[in-house]
Amino acid sequence: MVLPPRWRKVARDLVAHKLRTILVVLSIAVGIFAILVVMGGRGILIEAFETNFPKSNPSTAVLVTTGFDQMLVDRVARADGVADAEGRRTVSLRYRPGDVTGQVDPPVQVAVAQRQTSITLIAAKDWAASRIDVAAPQGSTPWPPARGEIVLETSDTQVSALRPGDFMTVETASGDKKLLRITGFVHDINSFPAMFVGQITGYVTLETMADLGVDAGMDQLLIKIEKPGLTRAEANRIVSRVRDDVIAPAGVRTLNTTVPEPGSHRLGDIFKAVSILLLVLGVMALALSGFLVVNTVSALLTQQMRQVGIMKAIGGKRVQIGALFLSLVAIYGLLAVLVGLPIGAWWASWFANFAGGLLDFGPAAATPPAYTVALAVAVGFLVPLIAALLPIRKGTRVSVVTALNATGMSGTHFGHGLIDRLLGRLRGLPRPVALSLRNTFLRKGRLAMTLMTLVLASAVVMSVGSVRASILTTVSDVSKWWNYDAEVNFARPVPAQLAERDALKVSDVKSSEGWLASPATLRRGDGTENTRLGMIALPPNTSFITPFLVGGRWLTDADTNGVVVNTDVVNAEHLAIGDAVSLKIRGKDYDFRVIGVVRGQMMGPVFFSNRAYTERLLGLQGSITRLLVRTGDHSIAAQDMTADRLDRTFTDAGLVVIDVLGQARMSESFANQLGILVTFLIIMAVILATVGVIGLSGTMIINVLESTREIGVMRAIGASHGSIYQVFVTEGVVIGVLSWAGGLILSWPMSLGLVWVLEGAIGIPLTYTFSWEAVAGWLVVVAAISAVASLIPAFNASQVSVRDAISYE
Amino acid sequence: MTASASGSNHSLIRLTQVVKTYDSGEVPFTALRGVDLTVEPGEFVGLIGKSGSGKTTLINMITGIDRPTSGEVLISGTPVHALSENKLAVWRGRTIGVVFQFFQLLPTLTVVENVMLPMDFCSVHLPRERESFAMSLLEQVEMADQAHKLPAALSGGQQQRVAIARALANDPPILAADEPTGNLDSVTAEAVFVLFEKLVAAGKTIVMVTHDNDIASRVARALHVHDGEIVDDIRRP
Repeated sequence: MVLPPRWRKVARDLVAHKLRTILVVLSIAVGIFAILVVMGGRGILIEAFETNFPKSNPSTAVLVTTGFDQMLVDRVARADGVADAEGRRTVSLRYRPGDVTGQVDPPVQVAVAQRQTSITLIAAKDWAASRIDVAAPQGSTPWPPARGEIVLETSDTQVSALRPGDFMTVETASGDKKLLRITGFVHDINSFPAMFVGQITGYVTLETMADLGVDAGMDQLLIKIEKPGLTRAEANRIVSRVRDDVIAPAGVRTLNTTVPEPGSHRLGDIFKAVSILLLVLGVMALALSGFLVVNTVSALLTQQMRQVGIMKAIGGKRVQIGALFLSLVAIYGLLAVLVGLPIGAWWASWFANFAGGLLDFGPAAATPPAYTVALAVAVGFLVPLIAALLPIRKGTRVSVVTALNATGMSGTHFGHGLIDRLLGRLRGLPRPVALSLRNTFLRKGRLAMTLMTLVLASAVVMSVGSVRASILTTVSDVSKWWNYDAEVNFARPVPAQLAERDALKVSDVKSSEGWLASPATLRRGDGTENTRLGMIALPPNTSFITPFLVGGRWLTDADTNGVVVNTDVVNAEHLAIGDAVSLKIRGKDYDFRVIGVVRGQMMGPVFFSNRAYTERLLGLQGSITRLLVRTGDHSIAAQDMTADRLDRTFTDAGLVVIDVLGQARMSESFANQLGILVTFLIIMAVILATVGVIGLSGTMIINVLESTREIGVMRAIGASHGSIYQVFVTEGVVIGVLSWAGGLILSWPMSLGLVWVLEGAIGIPLTYTFSWEAVAGWLVVVAAISAVASLIPAFNASQVSVRDAISYE
Repeated sequence: MTASASGSNHSLIRLTQVVKTYDSGEVPFTALRGVDLTVEPGEFVGLIGKSGSGKTTLINMITGIDRPTSGEVLISGTPVHALSENKLAVWRGRTIGVVFQFFQLLPTLTVVENVMLPMDFCSVHLPRERESFAMSLLEQVEMADQAHKLPAALSGGQQQRVAIARALANDPPILAADEPTGNLDSVTAEAVFVLFEKLVAAGKTIVMVTHDNDIASRVARALHVHDGEIVDDIRRP
């Protein structure tokens, strides 16, 4: 069948105007790309989480107890309301990479810092038969590990260089050094990713544990409750009953009970934040590509106005001509889908795997979910068509005489508006610059559309910059909390005077302060409990931390039962200043009253109280469980060295030290957690900036193409190449800078909104910081892109002969 | 002054008190001031006048490319001034072939495709027959050997012949040409004029705008336009 001539025109237009076709296709494709990466990446991430998390059969509750055996596990598993139970042994030990025992010949060295760091070891009776919080061995990892072997968690690679085949030397509780061989990796979606806790996790058998001098019993009980629509309160009640009716009668004491929101993940909040952020930015990418398409289609119609007139003059109906342009747009859409879909899908998968790795969500699908692909295709196809409807309707309505008189030098309406008159009054400008400025405002409708697109892109990029700056400021604010260099945590309360005296023996320690820290349980009005709280009793006038007060007031020496809570407590328990709270500490109930709220430090929900009052209350006068020290050198290396010395000094003095932490490493861990958000934001900013840059280039190039006839006229009256470039580059830069300025204004409310959304998701108030760096950086990008994007087509246009330029269609 | 105001009620073209005023400038400009005109079938009419006299506006009234501010335009009894833009396009496609001074061929279509385009728009002839009809029209204007070239490869005169072939595509009774020779050298202009004479002999009605006095003196009926009015109506035997 022969294609009717008008359809041949569509085909020829596509081929004849290659630059324009490429531009339009690229503009639409970049929209498809952005949507696919953002929404598709999000989809893959959610899918990975929703597959891998339930597959692990997550526990409903985790109880940390004194030692128990398999018999108790079996009894708990049979208890009323409990579906299953499993026991684990966990211990935190210090290790060094490589062999320092001399057992391996030749000695194995690993190229990582030789400082002793902590590892959490987890052992189960039989890993292969594990049914709760199931860990999935990766690749050819032998599972379960053999005696003397250890399998690391996949996220450990983020903080450690240890790989299968390497050795590590673990220091036992008695100070012996034991060698473990690393045999592979396991993915445990229920563990905290190493980067978040700054500590690695390893999986061993109970026999290996025994070799390490850890007693044979288990100390962590995982409970699974299976019930549709299970609430946290209900789970709490069942777990409390098990604790009182099954565990306690067996002589096992429960030290800590964790019952998270059923079905929730440890990183749920961060993931929620990331997910919301991606959704918001995805919608923006959608809007942006819509604008781009409207812009390019309007430009296209302006360019073909005269042809519309001719077709009408020889009998073309509006519907026929409209259909021509719609099909042209549909073909652009098809081409854009062909280009954008595979590239977008690949990057979506890359992005999801990157993000999934950070969050330790485990293996993710290689392709975005079908609905996001459908969305991207719809955007590529429908958005351009819908966007083209209005300009096509307008363009085909124009009377034949107007259409035929379209010269491509549509200057007839210039000079009437306020802006035109103001521009006309600008005297003393070089003629080409004046021409550029006036040209910029010649097609005000088009300019408005262009600006709208570019302002939106600019605003999004600069907003993302401000959100990033806000996160970084918050991290820095939070770091200011810690005015000390290291903290020592003791297993039992120790005499404050003794600890402080010993600490000062360590060289470089300038001063120290003792705190009483203890787990606390909140008794709620409805009889349920929150067992995941901490209580820190400290001198109210402490200079070792700088609390960031959000509401109420800080502690004073006169305070008795007044407590300050952090925002994590407020978020978890909806407490307000003045509320009475009942806390169980060290087995007894006490009443307190909330007097102030400080910002959370990602150290979980904590109550702060007056040490003098609290030690009397608990009968621990003169005792502390945590010692903070200040030194002269605040570098990570110096802090690590001080930590090692403190550890040795106290251990030699016969005190049982749980851990010694350098402050810089703690703030690093906090920064890492928010750093994930920053990383996402940077990736998003790059994607949106790409959309913006392509949009900007496209608009500039089309603007110059539209002016080909004008270039011919200028050449005809003697304009040099140089002055033509000057005219168009100035015009491009003016448009670029205008959109930058508009985006700057819009980015302020937009970034406030984004920060607000983030705060809601992660539950930490952020310090809003407007990023002037992003503003300046984007200005440079915008100016450079506008200049280059105008110069290239202006160069091309100036190569055309005057005759051809004047007759340009 | 009126031109053939006494023409019969069955005139092919009949303009009554046509006024056209443009408001686009600072001061409204009246291009036509109450023109009356009738043209009978088979006439070869030249609209002659200086630049700005209103002759192009007048022919645009006949083709329906532009609308009168007041007055009536009846072509074969159809009230052109009252048709919607859309009905006008279809009507024009079948009733009037338009030839422009600057040819106005679509740059991305070949010569024969340009000629087929009006048939395509107005669904004239069966799709598979359109090409042979277009070719026979191109033979008439002696352009059949250039049928598969793009307009840019043709000279001005050749482009104008193609434009005339395109105007004849749907076999309209009327041909309206705005300065069809204005952009051509004298030899080519002569060839186009001879072509028009042949078409009139074959029964077409032609209305042509020109400021070329040579050509003006050779049309069967010369209407002189001045300041938006027809000031002279000269018929040659």
